[in-house]
Amino acid sequence: MNQLDPQVLITLVTILVSGIGIIFGTAIPAIVEGRAVLKALDGITRQPEAANDLRTTLLISMALLESTAIYVLLVLLVLLFANPLIDRFF
Amino acid sequence: MESVTPFTMFTIFGIPISSTVVATWTAMAIIISSVIILGKIKPIMLQDLVEFLSNLISDIMNIDSVEPYLPFLGSLAIFLAVANIFGSFPIFSSPTSDLNTPIALALVVFFAVHIFGVKAQGFFGYLKDLASPIFMLPLEIISQISRTISLAARLFGNILSGDLIVAVILSLVPLFVPVIIMGLSLLIGLLQAYVFTALSSVYIASALEVETGEMNK
Repeated sequence: MNQLDPQVLITLVTILVSGIGIIFGTAIPAIVEGRAVLKALDGITRQPEAANDLRTTLLISMALLESTAIYVLLVLLVLLFANPLIDRFF
Repeated sequence: MESVTPFTMFTIFGIPISSTVVATWTAMAIIISSVIILGKIKPIMLQDLVEFLSNLISDIMNIDSVEPYLPFLGSLAIFLAVANIFGSFPIFSSPTSDLNTPIALALVVFFAVHIFGVKAQGFFGYLKDLASPIFMLPLEIISQISRTISLAARLFGNILSGDLIVAVILSLVPLFVPVIIMGLSLLIGLLQAYVFTALSSVYIASALEVETGEMNK
Protein backbone atom coordinates (compact mmCIF):
# COMPACT_ATOMS: atom_id res chain seq x y z
CA MET A 1 0.00 0.00 0.00
CA ASN A 2 1.48 3.31 -1.02
CA GLN A 3 2.11 6.02 1.55
CA LEU A 4 -0.67 8.59 2.06
CA ASP A 5 0.07 12.27 2.52
CA PRO A 6 -0.56 13.11 6.23
CA GLN A 7 -2.83 15.99 5.29
CA VAL A 8 -4.92 13.78 3.04
CA LEU A 9 -5.08 11.12 5.73
CA ILE A 10 -6.22 13.60 8.39
CA THR A 11 -8.85 15.06 6.06
CA LEU A 12 -10.13 11.58 5.24
CA VAL A 13 -10.32 10.57 8.89
CA THR A 14 -11.99 13.87 9.78
CA ILE A 15 -14.71 13.43 7.17
CA LEU A 16 -15.35 9.83 8.19
CA VAL A 17 -15.46 10.68 11.89
CA SER A 18 -17.74 13.68 11.26
CA GLY A 19 -20.18 11.56 9.29
CA ILE A 20 -20.35 8.85 11.93
CA GLY A 21 -20.26 11.31 14.82
CA ILE A 22 -23.15 13.46 13.68
CA ILE A 23 -25.32 10.35 13.24
CA PHE A 24 -24.82 9.14 16.80
CA GLY A 25 -24.58 12.65 18.26
CA THR A 26 -28.01 13.60 16.98
CA ALA A 27 -29.77 10.22 17.11
CA ILE A 28 -29.16 9.49 20.79
CA PRO A 29 -30.30 12.92 22.11
CA ALA A 30 -33.32 12.75 19.78
CA ILE A 31 -34.35 9.37 21.20
CA VAL A 32 -33.90 10.58 24.77
CA GLU A 33 -35.80 13.81 24.09
CA GLY A 34 -38.61 11.80 22.54
CA ARG A 35 -38.80 9.74 25.70
CA ALA A 36 -38.98 12.93 27.78
CA VAL A 37 -41.82 14.32 25.62
CA LEU A 38 -43.64 10.99 25.88
CA LYS A 39 -43.53 11.09 29.67
CA ALA A 40 -44.62 14.73 29.75
CA LEU A 41 -47.56 14.03 27.44
CA ASP A 42 -48.50 11.09 29.66
CA GLY A 43 -48.50 13.43 32.63
CA ILE A 44 -50.57 16.07 30.81
CA THR A 45 -53.24 13.58 29.76
CA ARG A 46 -53.41 12.26 33.29
CA GLN A 47 -53.49 15.70 34.93
CA PRO A 48 -54.49 18.46 32.46
CA GLU A 49 -54.41 21.09 35.21
CA ALA A 50 -50.66 20.59 35.63
CA ALA A 51 -50.00 21.32 31.93
CA ASN A 52 -48.45 24.77 32.45
CA ASP A 53 -46.01 23.54 35.06
CA LEU A 54 -45.05 20.52 32.98
CA ARG A 55 -44.53 22.60 29.84
CA THR A 56 -41.99 24.89 31.50
CA THR A 57 -40.09 21.98 33.01
CA LEU A 58 -40.20 20.09 29.72
CA LEU A 59 -38.82 23.00 27.71
CA ILE A 60 -35.96 23.61 30.15
CA SER A 61 -35.02 19.94 30.42
CA MET A 62 -35.20 19.52 26.65
CA ALA A 63 -32.83 22.44 26.23
CA LEU A 64 -30.45 20.75 28.66
CA LEU A 65 -30.73 17.44 26.80
CA GLU A 66 -30.24 19.09 23.45
CA SER A 67 -26.99 20.69 24.53
CA THR A 68 -25.21 17.33 24.16
CA ALA A 69 -26.15 17.29 20.48
CA ILE A 70 -24.92 20.86 20.20
CA TYR A 71 -21.57 19.85 21.74
CA VAL A 72 -21.17 17.19 19.05
CA LEU A 73 -22.02 19.76 16.38
CA LEU A 74 -19.47 22.24 17.77
CA VAL A 75 -16.68 19.66 17.91
CA LEU A 76 -17.43 18.57 14.35
CA LEU A 77 -17.55 22.16 13.11
CA VAL A 78 -14.13 22.79 14.63
CA LEU A 79 -12.83 19.57 13.07
CA LEU A 80 -14.21 20.42 9.64
CA PHE A 81 -13.56 24.14 9.34
CA ALA A 82 -10.74 24.94 11.79
CA ASN A 83 -8.92 21.64 12.21
CA PRO A 84 -5.98 22.26 14.56
CA LEU A 85 -4.25 19.01 13.59
CA ILE A 86 -3.67 19.78 9.91
CA ASP A 87 -1.14 22.54 10.63
CA ARG A 88 0.93 20.24 12.80
CA PHE A 89 2.41 18.43 9.79
CA PHE A 90 3.57 21.52 7.89
CA MET B 1 -18.75 29.01 5.81
CA GLU B 2 -17.53 32.34 4.44
CA SER B 3 -20.95 33.94 4.58
CA VAL B 4 -21.64 32.63 8.08
CA THR B 5 -18.45 33.55 9.94
CA PRO B 6 -18.04 37.19 11.01
CA PHE B 7 -15.79 39.44 8.95
CA THR B 8 -14.24 42.86 9.53
CA MET B 9 -16.45 45.54 8.00
CA PHE B 10 -14.39 48.68 8.69
CA THR B 11 -11.95 50.10 11.22
CA ILE B 12 -12.37 53.06 13.56
CA PHE B 13 -9.06 54.46 14.89
CA GLY B 14 -7.38 51.14 14.18
CA ILE B 15 -10.03 49.10 16.01
CA PRO B 16 -11.55 46.54 13.64
CA ILE B 17 -15.36 46.57 13.71
CA SER B 18 -16.73 43.16 12.73
CA SER B 19 -20.11 42.47 11.17
CA THR B 20 -21.31 41.09 14.49
CA VAL B 21 -20.82 44.44 16.20
CA VAL B 22 -22.64 46.25 13.40
CA ALA B 23 -25.52 43.77 13.65
CA THR B 24 -25.63 44.23 17.44
CA TRP B 25 -25.73 48.00 17.07
CA THR B 26 -28.53 47.71 14.53
CA ALA B 27 -30.49 45.43 16.85
CA MET B 28 -30.01 47.93 19.69
CA ALA B 29 -31.13 50.80 17.46
CA ILE B 30 -34.22 48.85 16.37
CA ILE B 31 -35.15 48.00 19.97
CA ILE B 32 -34.59 51.53 21.32
CA SER B 33 -36.39 53.32 18.47
CA SER B 34 -39.35 50.93 18.49
CA VAL B 35 -39.68 51.33 22.26
CA ILE B 36 -39.61 55.12 21.93
CA ILE B 37 -42.17 55.11 19.10
CA LEU B 38 -44.43 52.63 20.92
CA GLY B 39 -44.17 54.68 24.09
CA LYS B 40 -45.41 57.73 22.19
CA ILE B 41 -48.17 56.04 20.23
CA LYS B 42 -49.43 53.08 22.26
CA PRO B 43 -47.96 52.80 25.78
CA ILE B 44 -50.41 49.99 26.57
CA MET B 45 -48.47 47.63 24.30
CA LEU B 46 -45.27 48.21 26.28
CA GLN B 47 -47.16 47.53 29.47
CA ASP B 48 -48.51 44.28 28.00
CA LEU B 49 -44.99 43.25 27.02
CA VAL B 50 -43.60 43.93 30.49
CA GLU B 51 -46.49 42.08 32.13
CA PHE B 52 -46.01 39.13 29.78
CA LEU B 53 -42.30 38.96 30.65
CA SER B 54 -43.05 39.36 34.34
CA ASN B 55 -45.53 36.48 34.28
CA LEU B 56 -43.11 34.31 32.33
CA ILE B 57 -40.25 34.91 34.74
CA SER B 58 -42.33 34.62 37.91
CA ASP B 59 -43.70 31.28 36.63
CA ILE B 60 -40.17 29.97 36.31
CA MET B 61 -38.55 31.52 39.37
CA ASN B 62 -41.40 30.68 41.76
CA ILE B 63 -40.75 33.58 44.15
CA ASP B 64 -43.04 36.32 45.43
CA SER B 65 -41.57 39.40 43.78
CA VAL B 66 -39.53 39.31 40.58
CA GLU B 67 -39.14 43.08 40.50
CA PRO B 68 -35.38 43.20 41.28
CA TYR B 69 -34.62 40.69 38.53
CA LEU B 70 -37.13 41.75 35.87
CA PRO B 71 -35.00 44.51 34.27
CA PHE B 72 -32.04 42.18 33.75
CA LEU B 73 -33.93 39.09 32.59
CA GLY B 74 -36.48 41.02 30.56
CA SER B 75 -33.90 42.98 28.62
CA LEU B 76 -31.98 39.74 28.05
CA ALA B 77 -35.12 38.15 26.59
CA ILE B 78 -35.97 41.13 24.38
CA PHE B 79 -32.43 41.50 23.06
CA LEU B 80 -32.08 37.78 22.37
CA ALA B 81 -35.44 37.56 20.60
CA VAL B 82 -34.58 40.49 18.32
CA ALA B 83 -31.01 39.31 17.77
CA ASN B 84 -32.01 35.73 16.93
CA ILE B 85 -34.65 36.62 14.35
CA PHE B 86 -32.19 39.13 12.90
CA GLY B 87 -30.46 36.38 10.92
CA SER B 88 -33.53 35.90 8.75
CA PHE B 89 -33.18 39.38 7.27
CA PRO B 90 -31.09 39.72 4.13
CA ILE B 91 -27.65 41.39 4.40
CA PHE B 92 -27.45 40.91 8.17
CA SER B 93 -26.31 37.86 10.06
CA SER B 94 -27.62 37.42 13.58
CA PRO B 95 -25.18 38.63 16.27
CA THR B 96 -25.61 35.41 18.23
CA SER B 97 -24.16 33.24 15.46
CA ASP B 98 -20.74 34.62 16.45
CA LEU B 99 -19.38 32.79 19.51
CA ASN B 100 -18.29 36.06 21.16
CA THR B 101 -21.84 37.35 21.74
CA PRO B 102 -23.20 34.25 23.55
CA ILE B 103 -20.04 34.02 25.66
CA ALA B 104 -20.40 37.68 26.67
CA LEU B 105 -24.07 37.18 27.58
CA ALA B 106 -23.30 33.98 29.51
CA LEU B 107 -20.55 35.78 31.46
CA VAL B 108 -23.00 38.55 32.30
CA VAL B 109 -25.41 35.90 33.60
CA PHE B 110 -22.58 34.20 35.54
CA PHE B 111 -21.70 37.41 37.40
CA ALA B 112 -25.34 38.44 37.83
CA VAL B 113 -26.10 35.15 39.59
CA HIS B 114 -23.39 35.79 42.18
CA ILE B 115 -24.22 39.48 42.57
CA PHE B 116 -27.90 38.72 43.18
CA GLY B 117 -26.93 35.89 45.53
CA VAL B 118 -24.61 38.12 47.55
CA LYS B 119 -27.21 40.90 47.60
CA ALA B 120 -29.88 38.49 48.86
CA GLN B 121 -27.97 36.81 51.68
CA GLY B 122 -24.79 38.76 52.32
CA PHE B 123 -21.23 37.95 51.28
CA PHE B 124 -20.33 35.40 53.93
CA GLY B 125 -23.79 33.88 54.00
CA TYR B 126 -23.62 33.29 50.25
CA LEU B 127 -20.12 31.79 50.51
CA LYS B 128 -21.26 29.55 53.34
CA ASP B 129 -24.21 28.32 51.30
CA LEU B 130 -22.00 27.73 48.28
CA ALA B 131 -19.79 25.44 50.37
CA SER B 132 -22.36 24.08 52.77
CA PRO B 133 -20.83 20.60 52.89
CA ILE B 134 -17.22 21.65 52.37
CA PHE B 135 -16.31 18.66 50.22
CA MET B 136 -18.94 19.70 47.66
CA LEU B 137 -17.13 22.98 46.91
CA PRO B 138 -15.02 21.67 43.96
CA LEU B 139 -18.09 20.12 42.36
CA GLU B 140 -19.99 23.38 42.87
CA ILE B 141 -17.21 25.37 41.19
CA ILE B 142 -17.08 22.92 38.27
CA SER B 143 -20.84 23.13 37.81
CA GLN B 144 -20.78 26.93 37.89
CA ILE B 145 -18.16 27.03 35.12
CA SER B 146 -19.62 24.25 32.99
CA ARG B 147 -23.13 25.64 33.01
CA THR B 148 -21.82 29.01 31.85
CA ILE B 149 -20.00 27.33 28.96
CA SER B 150 -23.04 25.23 28.07
CA LEU B 151 -25.31 28.29 28.21
CA ALA B 152 -23.11 30.01 25.63
CA ALA B 153 -22.55 26.92 23.48
CA ARG B 154 -26.25 26.05 23.32
CA LEU B 155 -27.30 29.44 21.99
CA PHE B 156 -24.37 29.65 19.57
CA GLY B 157 -24.80 26.11 18.24
CA ASN B 158 -28.53 26.43 17.66
CA ILE B 159 -28.35 29.75 15.83
CA LEU B 160 -25.25 28.86 13.81
CA SER B 161 -26.66 25.49 12.79
CA GLY B 162 -29.83 27.21 11.58
CA ASP B 163 -27.78 29.66 9.51
CA LEU B 164 -25.58 26.86 8.12
CA ILE B 165 -28.56 24.71 7.11
CA VAL B 166 -30.13 27.69 5.33
CA ALA B 167 -26.83 28.36 3.53
CA VAL B 168 -26.46 24.72 2.44
CA ILE B 169 -30.08 24.43 1.22
CA LEU B 170 -29.71 27.78 -0.55
CA SER B 171 -26.77 26.47 -2.54
CA LEU B 172 -28.73 23.34 -3.52
CA VAL B 173 -32.24 24.72 -4.19
CA PRO B 174 -32.27 28.52 -4.34
CA LEU B 175 -36.06 28.97 -4.67
CA PHE B 176 -38.91 28.44 -2.16
CA VAL B 177 -37.38 25.49 -0.28
CA PRO B 178 -35.15 27.64 2.02
CA VAL B 179 -38.22 29.57 3.17
CA ILE B 180 -39.45 26.55 5.16
CA ILE B 181 -36.07 26.11 6.82
CA MET B 182 -35.91 29.86 7.53
CA GLY B 183 -39.29 29.66 9.23
CA LEU B 184 -38.01 26.81 11.33
CA SER B 185 -34.88 28.76 12.29
CA LEU B 186 -37.07 31.75 13.23
CA LEU B 187 -39.01 29.48 15.58
CA ILE B 188 -35.79 28.01 16.99
CA GLY B 189 -34.43 31.51 17.54
CA LEU B 190 -37.45 32.56 19.60
CA LEU B 191 -37.36 29.26 21.51
CA GLN B 192 -33.67 29.71 22.30
CA ALA B 193 -34.31 33.25 23.56
CA TYR B 194 -36.93 31.78 25.90
CA VAL B 195 -34.63 28.94 26.96
CA PHE B 196 -31.71 31.29 27.68
CA THR B 197 -33.92 33.55 29.80
CA ALA B 198 -35.53 30.58 31.55
CA LEU B 199 -32.19 29.01 32.42
CA SER B 200 -30.78 32.33 33.66
CA SER B 201 -33.82 32.79 35.91
CA VAL B 202 -33.45 29.20 37.17
CA TYR B 203 -29.80 29.88 38.02
CA ILE B 204 -30.64 33.16 39.77
CA ALA B 205 -33.49 31.48 41.65
CA SER B 206 -31.15 28.69 42.74
CA ALA B 207 -28.70 31.29 44.06
CA LEU B 208 -31.53 32.84 46.09
CA GLU B 209 -33.36 29.69 47.09
CA VAL B 210 -30.65 28.43 49.43
CA GLU B 211 -31.47 31.31 51.71
CA THR B 212 -35.12 30.29 52.15
CA GLY B 213 -33.98 26.73 52.81
CA GLU B 214 -31.69 28.03 55.53
CA MET B 215 -34.47 30.12 57.03
CA ASN B 216 -36.84 27.18 57.17
CA LYS B 217 -34.38 25.15 59.22
